[in-house]
Amino acid sequence: MIAKRHVPHYLMVLPFMLLFAGFFLYPIASGFTYSFFDWNAVSPAHFVGLANYQRIVASSDFRKAMTNLLTYVAITVPLGIAIAFGLALLVNSFKGFWSNFFRSAFFMPVVLPMFLAATIWRWIYTPNLGLLNMALGWFGIPSVNFLNDTHTMLYALIAVDVWVSAGFNMVIILAGLRNIPAHYYEAARLDGANALQQTIHITIPVLYPVLFFVTTYGFISALQVFEVPWLLTGSSFATYGGRQGALLFPVMDMMGRGFGSLKFGQAAAYGFILTAIIVLFTLAMFLLRKRELDQ
Amino acid sequence: MTTSLSGGTVLRWTLAIAIAIVAVFPIWWMLNVVFAEPGTPVSINPRLFPTSLAAGFTKVEKILTETGYLHAYYISIAYSLLTIAGVLLVGSMAAFEFALFDFPGKRILFAVVMLSLMVPTAVTLIPTYLLTVSLGWLNTMQGLVVPGLASAFGLFLLIQFMKTIPREMLDAAYVDGASHFQVYRYVALPLAGNALVTLAILTFLRTWGNFIWPLVVAPKPALYTVSQIVGLFNAPFSHTTVDVVMTANLLAVLPPLAFFLIFQRKIVEGIAMSGTKG
Repeated sequence: MIAKRHVPHYLMVLPFMLLFAGFFLYPIASGFTYSFFDWNAVSPAHFVGLANYQRIVASSDFRKAMTNLLTYVAITVPLGIAIAFGLALLVNSFKGFWSNFFRSAFFMPVVLPMFLAATIWRWIYTPNLGLLNMALGWFGIPSVNFLNDTHTMLYALIAVDVWVSAGFNMVIILAGLRNIPAHYYEAARLDGANALQQTIHITIPVLYPVLFFVTTYGFISALQVFEVPWLLTGSSFATYGGRQGALLFPVMDMMGRGFGSLKFGQAAAYGFILTAIIVLFTLAMFLLRKRELDQ
Repeated sequence: MTTSLSGGTVLRWTLAIAIAIVAVFPIWWMLNVVFAEPGTPVSINPRLFPTSLAAGFTKVEKILTETGYLHAYYISIAYSLLTIAGVLLVGSMAAFEFALFDFPGKRILFAVVMLSLMVPTAVTLIPTYLLTVSLGWLNTMQGLVVPGLASAFGLFLLIQFMKTIPREMLDAAYVDGASHFQVYRYVALPLAGNALVTLAILTFLRTWGNFIWPLVVAPKPALYTVSQIVGLFNAPFSHTTVDVVMTANLLAVLPPLAFFLIFQRKIVEGIAMSGTKG
């Protein structure tokens, strides 16, 4: 029996918990159920067991999306973090006004809604008249159709992605940098360590928890990449993924199966496959971290 | 410390300025495309700086009066404000309890909410959409707003701040005969003001930039948000010229940009905090 004195506490958390249960826990449970049914939202659903999961894994779209995703994640996350770390060091090397000035300038792309960053870049990448090709033209390089050439599409996406996310990670790393006590560096200087040695032996080890956080978070969000490639390729629920599916990613594939071909059972199953991958990735990251801490 | 102009200093400044240009230039370029006479070939005017203010304002006026843009602006503002109000209210009430009191079941509830931070949106998107449809909320404002109100991130941020409220201040209020709700309303809320402002700004940026949810849940023109209308302008076959498209883009970036310029420190601190204490 719950004591009467606790009632006010429950009343206060109730609104949040109701919304949370209704629009988070319930969808997860119902999505899990849908994933075992063949259902197009119109005719009655019927149970198909694991068929949705099997069909997805066997499809060529899934293989294409996964290959793209792995290449994309393997490049974007390390590159993005390395650049963000470099930016943070750079900003931190300035004092006062200029430090804040450069921080704000580097952070600017983060403020832009993602959908806008993608659309602006689509225009910058335009063949012939686009800003990038115009600049290349000044050096006599012929126009490249960045978003329609299967050799360049993935890299064009990665560039936009790094442009968008570097400022975000920079701010987090910078906050970590500013928490490092100055006497660590003074001691190292007395021992004759140069700037590079200080970075390797003080900054990176002390900053390790923060770097771990941005890397893990970066992986989790990169595995769900959707908006930017969707908009760069001018996708719709009818056609998506760009030329030869060079920018086809799992979330896009899932959305297409759901809203394009109305296979909601498959789309739900897709969501769980993706979640399983993300959870495994995160677990692997934490296990790695734990092993390092134990040593 | 010496301030002589060493090679390292020159390199630092060059690098910082070059990167600042790369970061800001696409936004600057968009501005220049808007504020240029339509039709001037890029070979004559490469749009490196604005050339015609009048032409830009004509385009803005045209878009606001001749398309559904202004209406989309209303929808986006309503969507953002309602989401902010809801997230702050529901989140602060729950954070008040989680941060300052003990009651049976608190730890398990908190653990479940925090675990949800790890679940990707991809897995809940389609079931939440189907739930919204069965509630009859497709193409409604509540369909846009309500599913996004239980923000685990917001709760976490507010708990971190509310934990710092000294216990004695609450006890003093109780001794004075204040009810539990009054303590929340008149003691805790004012003290958490900073955190609420930070969360409001971050929620605004997130809601204004939300592309995927409005796209699936409000596909009717009457409920188009700015993100959707910008999508239409940029669609491959929209039959609009680059400068008109860029005007549409520019109008969409103004509110978040203005927010950033005013609340820079709060935004940056909010993000830094979510990272370093997470």
